[in-house]
Amino acid sequence: MALRVQFENNDDIGVFSKLTNAYCLVAVGGSEAFYSVYESELAETIPVVHASIGGCRIIGRLTVGNRNGLLVPHSTTDVELQHLRNTLPDSVKIQRVEERLSALGNVIACNDYVALVHPDLDKETEEIIGDVLKVEVFRQTIAETPLVGSYAVLSNLGGMVHPKTSIQDQDELSSLLQVPLVAGTVNRGSDVLAAGMVVNDWLSFVGMSSTATEMFVIERAFKLNQSGPAVLGRAKERAALIEGMS
Amino acid sequence: MSLYNFKKIMVVPPAKDFIDIMLSKTQRKTPTVVHKGYKISRIRAFYTRKVKYTQQNFHDRLSQIIQDFPKLDDVHPFYADLMNVLYDKDHYKLALGQLNTARHLIDNVAKDYVRLLKYGDSLYRCKQLKKAALGRMATILKKQASNLTYLEQVRQHLSRLPTIDPYSRTIIICGFPNVGKSSFINKITRADVEVQPYAFTTKSLYVGHTDYKYLRWQVIDTPGILDHPLEERNVIEMQAITALAHLRSCVLYFMDISEQCGHSIEEQVQLFESIKPLFTNKPLILAINKIDIIGLEDLSEEKREIITKLQEDKNVPVMFTSTVSEEGVMEVKSEACERLLSYRVEQKMRTKKVDNILNRLHVAEPKPRDDKVRAPCIPEQALARLEMKAEKAERKRKLERDIEEEMGDDYTLDLQKNYTEIPEEERYDAIPEFWDGHNIADYIDPDIFSKLEELEREEGIREEGGVYALPDMTMDETLKEIREMAKQIRGKRFELRDDRRLASKKNKPAIPRHKQPKVRDRSVAKLRETMQNLGVDMSGTENANFTKSVVDLRRGVVAVGTKELKKPLLDKESSAIVKRTGQPLKRAPARDTMGVKNVAMKKKAQLMAKRDIAKKVTRLGLKGEADRFIGTKMPKHLYSGKRGTGKTDRR
Repeated sequence: MALRVQFENNDDIGVFSKLTNAYCLVAVGGSEAFYSVYESELAETIPVVHASIGGCRIIGRLTVGNRNGLLVPHSTTDVELQHLRNTLPDSVKIQRVEERLSALGNVIACNDYVALVHPDLDKETEEIIGDVLKVEVFRQTIAETPLVGSYAVLSNLGGMVHPKTSIQDQDELSSLLQVPLVAGTVNRGSDVLAAGMVVNDWLSFVGMSSTATEMFVIERAFKLNQSGPAVLGRAKERAALIEGMS
Repeated sequence: MSLYNFKKIMVVPPAKDFIDIMLSKTQRKTPTVVHKGYKISRIRAFYTRKVKYTQQNFHDRLSQIIQDFPKLDDVHPFYADLMNVLYDKDHYKLALGQLNTARHLIDNVAKDYVRLLKYGDSLYRCKQLKKAALGRMATILKKQASNLTYLEQVRQHLSRLPTIDPYSRTIIICGFPNVGKSSFINKITRADVEVQPYAFTTKSLYVGHTDYKYLRWQVIDTPGILDHPLEERNVIEMQAITALAHLRSCVLYFMDISEQCGHSIEEQVQLFESIKPLFTNKPLILAINKIDIIGLEDLSEEKREIITKLQEDKNVPVMFTSTVSEEGVMEVKSEACERLLSYRVEQKMRTKKVDNILNRLHVAEPKPRDDKVRAPCIPEQALARLEMKAEKAERKRKLERDIEEEMGDDYTLDLQKNYTEIPEEERYDAIPEFWDGHNIADYIDPDIFSKLEELEREEGIREEGGVYALPDMTMDETLKEIREMAKQIRGKRFELRDDRRLASKKNKPAIPRHKQPKVRDRSVAKLRETMQNLGVDMSGTENANFTKSVVDLRRGVVAVGTKELKKPLLDKESSAIVKRTGQPLKRAPARDTMGVKNVAMKKKAQLMAKRDIAKKVTRLGLKGEADRFIGTKMPKHLYSGKRGTGKTDRR
C-alpha cells in the first residue's frame, strides 16, 4: 500500500523521514499532521520516532539504517543520540560515523541484506556499515551518478532506481542486490527517488504530487499490494504505462 | 495543458464603441491645452501628437484582434474544419483580412495628415487638419462595423467551445438522433449533457472525461447524424462529421434496438454502412442500446438476422447496453478504452518515442548469486493490520495530531513520552549535559571503565613491546661530514648574498647632483696653521708624509696640492656643479647621441633628420617643425549623434 503525504507543503517526504522494517524516524515539524500520518499507519507495529540530527530536520538524507541498525553522521549531538537510543528498540544498533560525506542517506542505499555505497566512501565507514547494518556492501554508481542513496530506493522485496538507468545496469544491479529492480520516478517526474518516497517491506509513503501511474509502478515494484510478482511486463499494464509515459 | 485555448481572445467592441474608446483615449492621454499665441512649431507638434497617438491606438487594437483569432491554416485540422462548419471559413478570413486592410488605411491616413500638419500655419488650420484626420480614421472603422460584430460573435462562440485535445485519447460517440448517446456519456463521465426524449437535443459537441487504467480519457458526445449525402448535412450534423473525420479516436456507433428513436434497425445499419469511410483506421465498437425495453430474443426474425449479420464481422464487436438499467455500460467503456489503448500503443511502438522509456518498462529480475535467503521482514502486526484494513474494521487510535488539536496552543511536543524502557518516574528527569566538568554522554556506557581498562592494558602491552620506542638517532661519520659541509655551504651562500646586496648600486646612498659632495674639512694648510698656533714648529715638513696624498671620497686618490686643484676644468655643456676635480659628473648620454658610434656618424644622422623634417614641412605647408598639424578637426564619426547630456555645437 502506498500513501501520499506532504511535509509542510513539501513533496520531498524522503528528506524528512526514514522508514525501515523496525522503526520509523520523522522530522519534528511545525504541526503534527505529518507525524500523525505515519503514526496512524505504523505506531502499532513499529516505533515512530520524532528525531533531529544536529538540529536539522533533514534526517532522511543524513541517516541510513535498516532493521539491524542506524548510522548517524558526526554532526549528531549527544542528546539527540541518547534520545534515539531511548526510543528505538534494543535490537537496533545505533552508531555515529565519522565520515566526510556526512549526508549518509544520500551516499548509501540499503535494505536488510545489501547496501550500495558511494565509491568515495571511507574504508572505515564501509566496515561500520557491514558490522552495524549487517549487510554486504558494494561500491556502485547509478545512472553515472555516485549518489546511490538519492537515486535508489530499496526494500527486501524490490527496488527502484533512477529513470535513466539503462536496462543492462538494472540487470547488473538487480543481481548484485538480489531484488527485482524497476526504473521510475516519483512526484510527477522527479528523478530523486529517495527524496520523494520512503518504503519498507509492507508500506510506502510517497510525495503528494505523485501521479497514479507512478504509484502504480511503486506498488508493483515493491510488491506492496500482495498481488504476486512485479509485473510491469504484463501486456495489459504495459500498454497503459507506455501510453501514460509518452 | 490544452494545446488550444480560445477563451483568452480579447473582446471585439462594436464599431461605435470602438471609435468612442479610441477617441476618448486620445482625449485622456494627450495634452489638451493649446493657445494660438504659442510658437507655430509647438502648435503643430501638439496636433501631430494627437493624430499619431490615435493612429497608434487604432493600429495596436486592430493588430491585437487580428493576432488573437486563430489562423485557420495553423490550427489542428479538426478545429479548422469545425470553425469552417460553424463560422464559414471564407467569411472568417474575409473579416480578418478587411480588418487588416483597415489598419493599413488608418496608418496611411495618419501619415498623410502628419505630413500636411507640417504646413499648418495657424492654430485653427492645424486643428482642422487634426479633426479631419481623426474623422477619416473613424469613418474607415465605421465601415468595418459588420466585420467587428461578426468577429465578436465568433469570439463568444469560440470561447464556449469545449476544450478538446485532438492528440489525446478520445472516444467519440455517434449515431442517429435520440439513440441514447448523451445518456451514455452521462453514465461514464461527469459531463452533464442534457437528455430529452426528442431528436437533436444535443446540438453541438460535448466533452467529458473518464478514468481508466490511471489514464484520462476524453469522451466526445456528438449530435445525431441522419442518413443523407454530405452536401445536405446541416451545421449540427457536420460537427459530428468533423470530429469523426479528424480525431484519432475510438468510435462508438450507437444503435437503438427498440426503434423508439423513430428510425428502424435497417435504417440505422444503413447509416452505419454509409458513414463507414469515416471509421477507417479507427477502433470501432457497435453499441446496441435500450435492451431494457426489448431484448434481442424478442425481436422479429428479420431484424434479429440483421444484427447477427453485423456480429459476423470480427473486427467490429457488437455490444448490448442499456443506459437505464446500466447494463453493459462499463463493459462498453472498458472495451472501447482497451481497443483504443492497444491501437495507440501499436502506433507508438512504430515511432522512436517508446525507445526512451523502454528501460522504465523493464523489470530486472535478479540472477541468484548464492544460496542465502533474503526474506522480507514484515511483522505479524503489520500483516494483521493490513488484513483489518481490507475488512475496513479499522481501530481508531488517538493520534498526536488529535492531541495537538485538543490542546490547541498549549500543546508541546513530548519526546520523553515514548521512552518506554525507562520507568515512568525517571522518564522526565532532567539530565545535565555536563556534570563536574565531564560530558555526561561520554559516560552513558555502563561498561566504560572496564573498556578503558581493557584499552589501557592493551596500550601497556604495546608499550612494553616497544611499539612506541624512538628509533636510534645517532649519526655515523659520513653523515656528520655531510652535515658539516652543508652548514658551510649554507653559510657561504648567505655571505655571498649579503655581498651582492652591498655591491649593487641600488643600496648606495644617492647624493643629489646639485649638492656639493661634502668634503672633509681637513687640509694640510689648516693642519699647519693649527699646529703653528699651538706652537709646534712646522718647518721642514714640506715633504712630510702627511702632505703626500689625500683620499677623495668619490674620485680615488688625488695628490694634494697639485696644479689641477687650483684651476678646475668646467663642464662646458651645463652649469651643473662640477667637482673640484673638474670632471663633469657622469650622466646618461643625450638621446640623439645614443647608439651613435662617433662624431661623423652623429653629424650624418643630424643631417638626415633635418632633411626629413624639411620634407614634412613642405609637404603639409607648415611653418616649421613645431607647427602642429591636425588633419580633420572634428571627425564626423566621433561627434555625430546624440550625446549624453546637453547640446554640443554639432550633431
